[in-house]
Amino acid sequence: MVKPASTTTATGKDLGAVRAAQSESPGLFGVAGLSSVIRALLPFVVAILAWWAIWAVLDPPEIILVSPASVFGSFIDSIAEGALPTFIARSLARLGIGTLIAIGLGVPMGWLLGLDEDVAQAAEPIMRFFNAVSGIAWLPAMIIWFGFTETTIQAVIVYTMLFPVAFNAMIGVRTIPKRYRDACRTMGAGTLRIIRDVYMPGSFPSVMTGLRLGIGFGWRALIAGEFVVGTTAGGGLGFFIFDARTQGVIGKVMAGMIVLGVLWLLMDRLILRPIEETINVKWGAVSA
Amino acid sequence: MTVPTGGAAQAAPPTISVEGLSHSFTDPQTRKTVHALDDVNLEILPGDFVTVVGPSGCGKTTLLNILAGFIRPSAGKAFVNGRAIERPGADRGVVFQELAILPWRTVYRNIAHGLEIQGVAKPEIDERVNRMTSLVGLEGFEGHYPHQLSGGMRQRVAVARTWVSDPEIILMDEPFAAVDAMTRLTLQEELNDLTVRTGKTVFFITHSVEEAVFLGDRVMALSARPGRIKEEVHVPVPRAERSWERMSHDEALQDTVEHVLSLVRGEAVEPTGQDG
Repeated sequence: MVKPASTTTATGKDLGAVRAAQSESPGLFGVAGLSSVIRALLPFVVAILAWWAIWAVLDPPEIILVSPASVFGSFIDSIAEGALPTFIARSLARLGIGTLIAIGLGVPMGWLLGLDEDVAQAAEPIMRFFNAVSGIAWLPAMIIWFGFTETTIQAVIVYTMLFPVAFNAMIGVRTIPKRYRDACRTMGAGTLRIIRDVYMPGSFPSVMTGLRLGIGFGWRALIAGEFVVGTTAGGGLGFFIFDARTQGVIGKVMAGMIVLGVLWLLMDRLILRPIEETINVKWGAVSA
Repeated sequence: MTVPTGGAAQAAPPTISVEGLSHSFTDPQTRKTVHALDDVNLEILPGDFVTVVGPSGCGKTTLLNILAGFIRPSAGKAFVNGRAIERPGADRGVVFQELAILPWRTVYRNIAHGLEIQGVAKPEIDERVNRMTSLVGLEGFEGHYPHQLSGGMRQRVAVARTWVSDPEIILMDEPFAAVDAMTRLTLQEELNDLTVRTGKTVFFITHSVEEAVFLGDRVMALSARPGRIKEEVHVPVPRAERSWERMSHDEALQDTVEHVLSLVRGEAVEPTGQDG
């Protein structure tokens, strides 16, 4: 087989051309000429400066607000004493396990529901219902059932992720054009083959959308869960923040919050975005 | 008959035969009964290229869907090689009106798909796909995804995917309706070339009289809904000798176009329901 020029370079070039066209106009603040990394970091610098300025002007008591430098100091201390790295690892592990379980349960569930048009229609309202009752709302009930345990935190994450994942997997299957299935039938494909060759790959972009939503919701539910249950369930980043509050150390609270945001940005950049970009190249016509 | 090989071929049983076919269905939106086809009879012999032309909504697509096995007719029967059509099968390849190649498969993997389903061995798939891509001018694009191709190229993939499995008959439903006019002329000539070279039996639906005459051995002119065959018109010039160049000045071909036009013209189109 002849291997033609890589498809990614073709799309890459197109994107490059679009970017080039965009950067020709100078823009209001003249930031167009800067590299994308600097452009992305700039607002953070502005935010930190603003924070610093507010702190310097108002000169609030240390219990209310501390300087960026002081928060950075708390951050370094927390890393040095080992609590923060351990808690970060624990939270990420919980999220990872939650993700795997939600994919394992939610994707097949969504696919099965999506296969039959009538079943999918019947299932949609209740799926929306459970989607709307957020994971955190389940926390009291979970505590009654499972106590202040790891199980409670994990159950809340899995629940929170399961419905967006399942719902989008179902929608993904339903929105695949019927002619793809028909075309495969004329080529002699049976039901299993059609599930494998059409429904599974065809719903993949939608499954990823669900996963992205699910991980976002799950991350929030996780922090909330750790606020409430973390003390007895072995900590976590949420526990770290909440515990700092009980100690009355605002610097640690803010350091924990910043870690929370930075971790999400890293997960987004390093894991979710690359997967989505691969999908856009391969499934371009589906999502376009 | 237009089959050029004489006695033996004349006696060959029809690949497809349709007897007294009628079809009605309930329109899901208006809940009214739609009479799509009325007492359609036709025979398609091996190697025949039959085109069906008629106004929008005359039941052309319904007829194709019955032959493909997607729907069962209300009355009458359709046969492939003497067996009643009950479901889709690999003996009848379909090129759809709307593009039905899979967007997440490369050109190569789209064309290979039917062969994969049939369990053909890898080396043979490779050989057949390569032969097909060069036949339809897709060399060098094997690794591209459909969204990276022009409309004309995508249609070539759709045609190649159906052709490569070598089905006995190919059903085509206005495959070139969505491409631009210039590309369409090229694709029509290429299709003519391909069918002449491979001797495929083709059932081709269109609403363009010129396309129907240009491609077909025989043109079936359908009436407005409920569709019935008004006349079966033989196209005088052998397919191997056709080109758009020739179409523009050959009087026999021009007359055929005029004649088919006169059959189709004035067939009022019901404003309700979907394209049939």
